[in-house]
Amino acid sequence: MGLESQFMLLMKFVMPIYLLAFVLYAVRAFKGPTIADIILAVDCLSFDVAAFMAILAVYFRSVYLVSGAMVLALWGYLLDIYVAKHIAEGEVGA
Amino acid sequence: MSLLFYIGALLIVIGALCDFFGALGLLRFPNFYVRLHAATVGIIGGAAVPLFGVALLALGADFLPHRYAIAGASFVTGIVVLIVSPAGSHALAYAAHKAGLVDWEPEVDHLAGVEGDG
Repeated sequence: MGLESQFMLLMKFVMPIYLLAFVLYAVRAFKGPTIADIILAVDCLSFDVAAFMAILAVYFRSVYLVSGAMVLALWGYLLDIYVAKHIAEGEVGA
Repeated sequence: MSLLFYIGALLIVIGALCDFFGALGLLRFPNFYVRLHAATVGIIGGAAVPLFGVALLALGADFLPHRYAIAGASFVTGIVVLIVSPAGSHALAYAAHKAGLVDWEPEVDHLAGVEGDG
């Protein structure tokens, strides 16, 4: 059994766990009582979609998915900082 | 070379489990400050660890085209997540505490008397 079929077997176990985790994060993001809960859930969701895109880059054998993963991680950080500044100060200034 | 593949596969499985338990904790825990703990498990254990795992796995996988590009980019993304996610979570917790968004019943509140730092 070569490495490629072993990787396909690994994906068969790992992919449902990731998709279930995404569904749970999305439930918290939709019903979160405060703004901070929603932003935290969206943040977790974007970081984990970034990691999942890196796994899918190996699965589909394409390099371009990993650049999207890096942009997604940085976008999650930007969302955190802007919303935290908006909650704390009441405005998003310099 | 295939040893790197197996170490990477092990890290991906650990990452999937951490991701699932972090999501479960984020759904089930009672208030925002406790949910931050579960979110950190879900981000560091569920995103940074599988990114390093993908880097090692792509280095060891000889069936993959452009494997060095995939390994390097996912390694850099893992380091970025490792630096950036505690900073974001800390900023969000500080903002929620300062604005008084969350109803909670603290046993000890060390930040209650600290004001005027903005």
